[in-house]
Amino acid sequence: MPLVKIDDITKVYEGKVTHRAVNQLGFEVEKGQFLAIMGPSGSGKTTLLNLISTIDDLTSGSIQIDGINPHELDKNELALFRRRKLGFVFQDFNLLQMLTVEENLVLPLTLDYIPLDQMTSRVLEIADRLSLAPILHKRPNEISGGEAQRTAIGRALIHKPDLILADEPTGNLDSKASREVLELLSAINREEGATIIMVTHDPIAASYCNRVLFIKDGEFFNEIYSDDRRQTFYQRILNVLSLLGGNVNDLSAARLP
Amino acid sequence: MTFRQLAYRNVLRNFRSYAAFFLASVVSVMVFFVYSMFIFHPLFEEEGLGTLAVRGMLIAEVVLYIFTLFFLFYSMSAFLQARSKEFGVLVHLGMTKKQLSKMIFFEMMILGSISTAAGIAFGFTFSKFFFMIGREIMELESLPLYLSWQPFVLTIGAFASLFIIISFISVGFIRTKRVLNLLQGYWKADEMGRNSIILSVSGIGFLAVAYTLAAFVDDDSVYTMAFIIPPLATIGTYLFFTHSIQALLNLLKKKKTFFWDKTRLVSIADSSVKLKDSAQMFFIVTIVSTIAFLTVGTLASFTSYTGDFRESNPLSLIYISFEENPQEDEHINLLKNQLEQKGLAYGVAQLTVKRQTSAASGNEVDILQASQFNRLAAMLGHEVVDPDSGEGIFIPYSQESLAALNETVTDTVLSESDVPLFIDDAYPHIMFPNHTLNANSIIVNDQDFEAIDEPLTGYTGEQSSFTYYAFDVPDWTATLGIGNSLSDRMAEAFETGNFDEIAFYFENPGEDYRWFKSSFALMLFIGVMVALVFLLAAGSFIYFKLYTGLERDRKQYALLVRLGMTEKELLKIVNRQLVPQFFLPWTIALLHSCFAFISLQVVWDEFAELSILGEMAAVLAGFTLVQLLYFYLIRWRYIAHLQAS
Repeated sequence: MPLVKIDDITKVYEGKVTHRAVNQLGFEVEKGQFLAIMGPSGSGKTTLLNLISTIDDLTSGSIQIDGINPHELDKNELALFRRRKLGFVFQDFNLLQMLTVEENLVLPLTLDYIPLDQMTSRVLEIADRLSLAPILHKRPNEISGGEAQRTAIGRALIHKPDLILADEPTGNLDSKASREVLELLSAINREEGATIIMVTHDPIAASYCNRVLFIKDGEFFNEIYSDDRRQTFYQRILNVLSLLGGNVNDLSAARLP
Repeated sequence: MTFRQLAYRNVLRNFRSYAAFFLASVVSVMVFFVYSMFIFHPLFEEEGLGTLAVRGMLIAEVVLYIFTLFFLFYSMSAFLQARSKEFGVLVHLGMTKKQLSKMIFFEMMILGSISTAAGIAFGFTFSKFFFMIGREIMELESLPLYLSWQPFVLTIGAFASLFIIISFISVGFIRTKRVLNLLQGYWKADEMGRNSIILSVSGIGFLAVAYTLAAFVDDDSVYTMAFIIPPLATIGTYLFFTHSIQALLNLLKKKKTFFWDKTRLVSIADSSVKLKDSAQMFFIVTIVSTIAFLTVGTLASFTSYTGDFRESNPLSLIYISFEENPQEDEHINLLKNQLEQKGLAYGVAQLTVKRQTSAASGNEVDILQASQFNRLAAMLGHEVVDPDSGEGIFIPYSQESLAALNETVTDTVLSESDVPLFIDDAYPHIMFPNHTLNANSIIVNDQDFEAIDEPLTGYTGEQSSFTYYAFDVPDWTATLGIGNSLSDRMAEAFETGNFDEIAFYFENPGEDYRWFKSSFALMLFIGVMVALVFLLAAGSFIYFKLYTGLERDRKQYALLVRLGMTEKELLKIVNRQLVPQFFLPWTIALLHSCFAFISLQVVWDEFAELSILGEMAAVLAGFTLVQLLYFYLIRWRYIAHLQAS
């Protein structure tokens, strides 16, 4: 049974100019899959992710995560749903500045009133896994971008969510830090069977995934599945992107051999 | 980390952003506590100046409470708004609205308890000092420190209720529904929006009308205007900050030779955004500062009344004996004995005053005899008079009346006794307070005085004359307590309205003076402390705005440096941005106060005939100095922060 079932969803922004950000999109994500959503700027990637992460309302269609339609929950249940079932990784990290790395990591557990000894053991476990141990007592403004994003990933993992949603997690990182973060995400996917949906427009980032879904103007465009070698998968992603068009910027990260 | 620790760390690690807010709350608690210490002082249970102090401080406490409620509410909602991104992240991570409210409630309680505790601690530490000031002002023998639970309970109760009210209200203002909006944060709305021309013009219009009305107010209209001008000025100020300033800046921006000139482009454009963004804050700062200026200014102007007191009360003790006063000699001896007991040198002049009607005006006049008058004049060190027969000299009761009487020439007849008088002179000194003699009082030659033998129409011979005892004591403020029994009987008669029992009038100006002086000083003391809290609050609003904008400013300055702006030019821009934020509300508040004082002067003129210009200038200059210091302090910190990046 698929973990995420998206059925014909549409999102229309009303306003001076009515804008159809997502149009009749439907797909499914299996448990344990690492899915990348790609598309040019303005294609509706982030809107789609916001819809899945329940912080934006649907115009029509339905979303089911683990058999639950979050858009039918009331405000309180929704908060609990996000707290327990979802984990988030943002482009600009969104760490809380006045908390240390350790406190940022433990935040989702704090919100759920988990006993202190469990919190401590979970933090140590995660810190060990993400090699955050040496910086646990630093504040977000004292650590590098890569460390900040690893902290954010740790925060998204600590409560063992069913689904991790990442919005351009490498967007603010240099190539070395990007590679570390991506290898970390794919390792978590491989070793712990975590389901991850990642929005990106970096084809290198997408090449770490099992499956890439392309959207254009809010509609389904194409999808491809990974094969054994990352290099060839990367090449196939580039091929689809060149078909997809979009502007030159979106391809800037690509270096053709 | 437990949930409570989360709230605790939020406050402690954000302390720099709370600093000014915290300072203002602590001072507010402190002042409130000091007042409570006065109010519950066991010495003040008796009558007298203590009652005035207790009443004044009670009113001040109520004002303080209401103001602090408003201040905390405004600051808290601004704080929470500035933290919306943080709340967005928390809600995104799955914090429920209930948990968010709980967190904010905890935070408020932490802030509240720290500031209440600190305020009480400071208040108690310094209460000895404040008691010393209070003792000096009220001229009490001693005002010992005491320990009682009442001031503590009152202060803690008042501020606990205050912080609880505020936390409940401010929690209600956060919308958790739109997580997306929260995440986008506080600074997203930089768009300028359209500026209404009508509102811009009417803002300036309202202010102009209010100022004109205030400047041309007169005795008749002053009380009506007191209800018209303040609302007009308030609306005008609001529109001025929200619309008029933008319109003025837009005019400047249209003039490209001016606008596109070196650093001006950046500083005007940026000021324009900041002024728009903080329009409401500026409005509030202006109104709060104006109220503080006016409070202190008005109270300080009372002290100029005491400065004027000796001029209009040159006599040190006054005893007037009316008809059939059996105790006349007894009372005069009593006063003389008491003066001697105190070891005070004194002189006394006895004047017989006859009441007549002047045929020229039909008014009643008081007639004094030249020889008796000269004795008093010599005693006070003034020149003697020597009117010819048929000639009279006016006695002025104030400087204004002296000027008017100098211009007056009267040819009249005292109608009852048929004594003709020609009066073209006025005595150049004020000797008698205006309520002790008739406004029309005339000195005449001794023969003419003898010739007045008919009583005032409708009165007996005894009723139409009285004896005025004028005492001169060189050390006139030392007469405290002299004639106490007489003063008490006077006060009793005034209270009951029954004057049949007393056939005399007694006044001890030295004592009155001390009383006026202490009570005005006391009110000034109370008012200054309240004004201090007001100004600190206004300062904390500005500090807070700067602080929340700091991150954004830092980014902008980094960008400007990258674009090739020199350090010097940067400092220039910083200055141009800070100066309006500090001094625009200040200038408007000063303007408001100046015009308010013009109106106030009219009121003063009406019953005290004195100028409050000097006091006003001193008060406004003092406040401006404080504001300048505050500006340099904040600018120093602000530039240090900007350069740190």
